[in-house]
This record gives sequence, structure tokens and C-alpha cells, in this order.
Amino acid sequence: MNRRGWLLLAAWCVLLAVGVAWIQSRLHVSADLRLFMPKPRGEQQRLLVQNIGESPASRLLLVALDGDQPPVLAGISKSLTLALASRPEFGLVANGAQAPVAIPETLLPYRYLLTDSFDLHSLDARTVESALADRAADMASPASTLIEAWVPRDPTLEVLHLADRWQPRAEPRRIDDAWFTADGRRALLLVETRAAAFDPDGQTTALHALRAEFERARGASAARLTASGSGYFSSVIKQRTQAEAGWFGGIATAGMILLLWFAYRHAGFTLLGALPLASGALAGLAVVSWLFESVHGITLAFGFTLIGVAQDYPMHLFSHLRHGESALVTARRVWPPLATGVASTCVAYLAFLISGVTGLAQLACLTACGLIVAGLTTRYLLPRVTPPAAHDPADSKLLARINDRLSRLPRPFALLLVIPLAAALVFWLRPEGFWQNDLSKLTPVPPALLRQDLALRHELATPDLRYLLVASGADAQEVLARLESLDDSLAQAVNRGAIGAYDHAARYLPSDARQRARQAKLPDTAELERLLHVAAESSPFDAQLFAPFVADIARARELRPLSPADLAATPLSLRIDSALFDRGGRWYGLVSLFDVHDPGAMAALGNAASPFVTFLDLKDASEQLVAAHRSHILLCLDVSALLLVVVIGFALRRVSRVLRVLAPMVLTTLVILAVLRASGVSLNLFHLISLVLAAGLGLDYALFFEHASDDPAEQRRTLHALLVCALSTLLVFALLAFSTVPVLAAIGITVSLGVVSNFVLALLLTRERVAA
Amino acid sequence: MLTSTAASSRALDELERALRRTPPVTTGFVEYRFSHLLKKPLHVSGSLEYRADGVLARQVEVPYRELTEVSGDQVRIERADRPARTLSLQRAPQLRVMLGSFRALLEGRLAPLSQDFEVTLTEGDSHWTLTLVPRDARLLKALARIQVSGSADRPDCIAALEPDGDAAFTLLESVPATTAQPARATLEHRCHLDAIAPRAQTPAS
Repeated sequence: MNRRGWLLLAAWCVLLAVGVAWIQSRLHVSADLRLFMPKPRGEQQRLLVQNIGESPASRLLLVALDGDQPPVLAGISKSLTLALASRPEFGLVANGAQAPVAIPETLLPYRYLLTDSFDLHSLDARTVESALADRAADMASPASTLIEAWVPRDPTLEVLHLADRWQPRAEPRRIDDAWFTADGRRALLLVETRAAAFDPDGQTTALHALRAEFERARGASAARLTASGSGYFSSVIKQRTQAEAGWFGGIATAGMILLLWFAYRHAGFTLLGALPLASGALAGLAVVSWLFESVHGITLAFGFTLIGVAQDYPMHLFSHLRHGESALVTARRVWPPLATGVASTCVAYLAFLISGVTGLAQLACLTACGLIVAGLTTRYLLPRVTPPAAHDPADSKLLARINDRLSRLPRPFALLLVIPLAAALVFWLRPEGFWQNDLSKLTPVPPALLRQDLALRHELATPDLRYLLVASGADAQEVLARLESLDDSLAQAVNRGAIGAYDHAARYLPSDARQRARQAKLPDTAELERLLHVAAESSPFDAQLFAPFVADIARARELRPLSPADLAATPLSLRIDSALFDRGGRWYGLVSLFDVHDPGAMAALGNAASPFVTFLDLKDASEQLVAAHRSHILLCLDVSALLLVVVIGFALRRVSRVLRVLAPMVLTTLVILAVLRASGVSLNLFHLISLVLAAGLGLDYALFFEHASDDPAEQRRTLHALLVCALSTLLVFALLAFSTVPVLAAIGITVSLGVVSNFVLALLLTRERVAA
Repeated sequence: MLTSTAASSRALDELERALRRTPPVTTGFVEYRFSHLLKKPLHVSGSLEYRADGVLARQVEVPYRELTEVSGDQVRIERADRPARTLSLQRAPQLRVMLGSFRALLEGRLAPLSQDFEVTLTEGDSHWTLTLVPRDARLLKALARIQVSGSADRPDCIAALEPDGDAAFTLLESVPATTAQPARATLEHRCHLDAIAPRAQTPAS
């Protein structure tokens, strides 16, 4: 290579480095699944997309401490709770020590607007009289110590009534003021993360904080901490995926270096071969981060998988080098099939660009830009820095023998009929479970963790993760009123045993209207004093004692109703904020359900209520969403396939050539589908993306085999190039097939199958038979 | 009257042996409550029962019916025809300690008392007096001390004295059910309160 070549190489590398720096400063990777979802249809899906991973229940981490004596564990639980409550990663932290959610001192007069005690019987002579009699009896009971202080200010004990009403319905057992499992061996805590469940990085940060605080709180004890919950799972899965991807990536890189060295006997080729792919990936990233605000992690993962095709481009150049021929000339020679491959794939991705799903548009943009840049650099830059070939594959005796053998193989055109028929038979025999709709199967959690999660959920009596009722409205008041209107039917559902309990924001904060109605019913000062005077006559109390009560009622009659904003920074806001919120200008109120025994009855309840109340079956809705999502992608793929055929037709001009080029990839797609179905695998999104990648590879193989001239030397070079391409791809994806992370395994198996099938079919069906 | 620690501890053991009962244990009671919130003292009577299953029951018969049951951490109060109220003792440490002392006395197991109280035994010619001062500072604000007095193997008065002068006197068993309201001084005398060190404050009633 001359001086100009070295300069160019240096400039190229500098440009790549600058690109990396620029992208790092600009790229915002998002973990928000919503970027990757189609426009939801219907209220259920809209709510699902809006609330996915953000419902209060899904943001709860369940924490268990064991490995020491209960009093020690209770102590650790106490100090851990204190420490966590002051950290920014967490919202509500509960371990059972908290006093019942009490009405804050500043809001005490509001108790007469918040309580339902006087809804049925207003605060009249009878109510006052029986309250005084009850308090007298309380004074003579062991409970006197508890209520004595409240008698003058709150003779009807609304403070206790509200605290009771705001209690969680079922609570774990307590030891030393800390929650424990029923067997008393594990202390329990509930920790609400600020990060959404689907945000693995946020969850990992929160878990690190949790463990660090636990280590501090533990001291010398041998106690252990176990965490569980949706957020914990997303963190675990991400870490496992990353660890395995790193491990497999290492092996694959080493294998690639060996393979390339064996193929080209030149270390420089190995390094240069990485440049087009790196350039393409960076260019794709740059364009995506320039066009879009944030890029989804899935876009990146899938995008890099799909750009992987570009790793083959330099192989075509290197394998076709001839002694004494400038690499630029070689590049010009391999350009037609290469350009056809790049162009047709990119045009096919156009369909994704207009799919209306942000994540898919990003994916198409990333991949298309990446492939174009990788293709162009292979054509125009790489040849100028490529050293002369160490040896010409055409001179290889081994390759010549292989090529001879392969050329004499029969051309089994019967496969054109046999494969579709066999595939049809498989699909017909195994019609059930063609598609995998269960989202939880996509992010599979080890069964042992799931069992532990279920056990902890049972002990902690957390709300149901699957079923929710959602009320919506133009503002918070409308939503609160709708929640209140549900109370009667919800109470009936509890009585009938359809659910164990329910909870919603209006239980803590009634609507303005209801508060005003209660206010209007309160007696004025003169009336109340008269009532007290009469009632006190026959009681052991003096009417004067209740002056603080009279003052509070008088204040309650003047108060402006309590609004969600007034509750900020009170313990009550923790209960309300996650259950009453606005999203994009519309307000939503969630009704958490506990122990759902009869989902059907709850669905009927939701339907019978106002049209602004929806029963949400998160599992069902997410499955429908996945199905809708998939049909969307399938439609895009159909359009892409059509575009691809048009481009190939335009490039190759003759129907027979077009058919020969397309046959391997179409048949391979059928082969993969048939093999997966025959082994009982239900297809998911990851399989689909892998099928697209496999098809892209098959197209390139076929284009090059089709393009190979009659010159036996050139044929050997093409065979060499395609062998290197296929083997290197197979190496990477066969490794991935062994992953224990099912998503990676699915991609690995599908692409490996595709590489083998595409290569063999292209060899047999596309290559012209050479007359021996 | 000698109250040296060693002697007291031996005496306490002896008293515990004398008081020891095997549940179920039932005894009648009359309770008088003096409070600054009240125009006149309250007065109820009924029975206390420590059942074999560990449940402590306080049944009020006169002037109304009320049943308080303590089982584990839960207290259940059922009054006349009202729905029962349940509260957790974890949330009410004062109540837990008070009820714990009742249970200990009925069953005659004094050892657990020293967990929550400073226990002092004073012995006179014909009676003994156990003074229980809460160890917990928070509790001390609501309850100055509980004083139990009795003779031989039988406790007959439990007096709960609050720092603000309020007090509850529970007379056990052999008390004749008087309809007349005894004066506070009479009760203090019966419970041997006047025999003990100075009273915290002047009674309010």
C-alpha cells in the first residue's frame, strides 16, 4: 500500500473515532417499550400502552430478608426502611412499622369532608348521643388509653375511622413491628421504585442501591436479601443477556479472526474487513440519532443484527482479488451483485419506514443507512487501502477440487415443489400455537424465580398484576367522581366473593362534589352546641369538654375541598399519585383489585359502568397487542417482499434469472418455518426479524452465484467468498443458538438454519451447471 | 417492710409460686375509672377470664354488655349490638403492656412482667403490693405505674395510675358489688396506695 493509502486509512479511522464520539454525546437510548408498539386500537390497548410497566403494582419490588433470628431481621428491616425512604430511587417503602396512614395534623379539620360516617346518618341528635355513650364506655374499657386524648376534639373518632378505612386490607404477620412471612422466618418489605418496570437500567440502579443499603443495615448479621418483582426480572434478564452476549461475542470474534486468517493469510485483511461494517453501523446510528429523539434498545439490537449482512461485503472484495489486478478493478467487478443486494434490501426496508411504528421506522432507517454506507465504503474506500492479495483463491487446489465436485452435483429442481409441499404438510399437522402471543414468554424468567415471586406476592397481599379497572376523565375531579360511582358495585363484588378487596384514589380523597355535599350537611355551631348540650345531660361528660370538636366542625364548614395538590408531601400522596394521574392531558384513575376470583364478573362490572370505565386484563390486552403488532409487521414484510422482487426484476431483467435468485431465499424461509413448527416452536417477533436477516443473506448468496461467470477461476473465487461469508455468519449465530436466553437462542437457531439452507439451495439451484 | 433486691427476687419467686394457676382462670371484677374528662367516675363490673387457649377475655355485664377478647396480637371489642371492632396490639403498645400485666397476674406468671416493667414487691403483715413502673419512656407518659395488691395467693386490686392523676381501680373477685359509688380515697385505701410512697399528684376528681 502506498503513502496515499496509509493516509486515507488513517483519515478513515479518525473519522470513525469522531463518529463514535459524536454519537456518544447525542444518542439517547430509551428502554420505553412504547416506542416499539403500533398505534393501539381500542381503549384497552391504549390503556395498556399507556400504563405498561407503570402501574403501581408493577413498580413494586418485593423484598425478603432471612438467615438470622427474627428480632435481628426486624431490626435490619427497620434501618433498611429508613435508609431507603431517603433515597431518590424509591417512592413508598413499607415494612409494617409505619403507623396506619394517618391524616396529617395540618389536614385534621378536613376529616369531616373525607369521612363517610355521616353519609347515611347525618351528625344529628341521635348520632351525637350515641357517640357520647360509646366514648363513655370506651373510657371504662382497656382501650381508654388509646382514645382518651381524642375524646374532646373528635368524639365520633373520625381519625380512627379514617385510619381504619385507609388500612391495607390484608397484612402480613408482624414481629417486632416488622412484616414477616407466616412462618416467621423471613422479614418482608415492599419497595416502590421510581423507575418503570420495563426500564432495566433504572431497575438495576435501584437494586444496587437496595443492596448497598442492605449491606450497611446488616452490619455483622448473616442475613440475606432476596428481591423479586417485575422490575427485578427485567434487570436480571438484561444482565444475563448482556453477560451471554459478551461471552459469545468474545468467542465469535476469536473464531472470525482465525477464519479470516485461514482464508486470506493476511492479518491486515482481518482488520480491514471490519471497517465497512463499523462505518455502516456508525452511519446508521448517526442518522437515527439525528432524526429521532431517542432510539429504543431493541432497535439497536435488531439493527446491529440486520447490519451484520454487511460483514460479507469485504469478503466478496477480498476473495475476488487477482494477482496483479488493482483492488479498484476487483471492486468494480463485484459491484453489480453487491449493489443489487444492497439496493433491493434497502428498498425492502422502505416498507418499515412507513409502518407508523417508531421503533420499526428507526430499525429500517438504521439498517438501510448502515448497509448503504457499508456497501459504498466497500466499493470506493476499502479498495484504496487494500494491500495486494497474499494468494489468489483461484490457485487453491483444494478449492478447485471442491468446486469440481459441487459443479457435478445434480440440480434438484424437484425441491421447488417438495419443500413447499413438506412445509404445507407441517403447518397442516401442527396448526395450533403458530404464533407466540404471551409477552411473558418473550422475557422468560427462570421458573424458580417465578415461584418465589408468587409466594412473596401471596405473603404480602399485593394487588393483582393482571386485572385492573381504569376510569378516565377530562380532569381529576371527573375521574374521582367516576371512581366513587363504582364503589357500590365494587362493594357488592367483594360481598359476592368476586374479589377480595379493592383500592382506588377516591377512597382517600373524595371528589369536590362529595366533599361539598358533606360540608353542607354539617350542623352550624349553635345547632351543634345545642345537640351536645342535650346529649351531655345523660352522659358522664360535660358539654364544655367538646369545644375543640365544635371548633373543628365550624372550620370544616368553611374549608375549600381538599384537592390532589393539597396532599403533596403528605403520606397520602404516596397512595394517590400512582393511582390518579394525567397522561397527555387526560386523567386516569386505577382501581387495584386484590384476590380476583371471578374476572368475568369484574369485566361485566366494568362494562356495566360508564363508558369511561374499562376493565383491563393486562395479559389479554398485551396478547392482542402483540398479535396486532405482528400482523402489522407481516404486512410490512409483504410489501417489502414485493418491493424486493421489483428491484431484483429491474436489476436482472430476465424472469429466469429473477426466479433463480429468489428461489433459495423463498424456499429457505419455508424450510426454517417448517423446521421450527415441526419442533413445536411458536414464532415470535425475534424469529421474524431473524427470518428477514436470513432472507437478506440468501439473496446475497444467490446474487453472487448467479453473477459468477463461466470462467472457472472466477467461479472458484466466488465460491471462496461465499464459503467465508457463510462460515463466518454460521459461526456467530450457531454460538448464539446455544444461549440460555431464549431470545438470543431463537435468533441464533433461525439464522443458522437460514445460512445453511440458503447456501445449499443457492449452490444447487442458482449456480449454473458447468459442463464438465 | 424490706425490699432489698435479692430478698425481693426470692420473695417474688415465692409470690409467683403462690399465684400460679392453670388456665382457665375466671374471676369477677369491678372497675372504677377516674378521669379529668368525666363529670363523675365510671363504674363497670363483670368477669375476667384467662382461657386455656391463651385468650384473655374481659366481659362487662353491668351497666352494659361488652366483651373484650385478646388473642395473640389482636384485640376484639364487641359492645352490645354494635359490630365488633378489632385492633392490633402492635399498633397500641400501651394497651399491649397493660393487658399483658392482667394476663400475667391471672395466670400467676410474673417473670414476663419484668420485660416491660420495673417490678418491685413490698410485703406488709397481711398483704403484699407489686409496683410495676413501665420501662418505656413513651409509655411512661401515659401510665405512671400499675400497682397490684393482694393477700396470700390472691391479688385483689389492680390500680393503674396515669401521670395526669387519672386512675383506674380494678377490684377482683371477693368484692361485694356495691351500687354506691365509693370515694377515691376509699379505693386508694383498699388498694393500699396510701401505704406506699408519695402519690405523684393530687387526684383530679
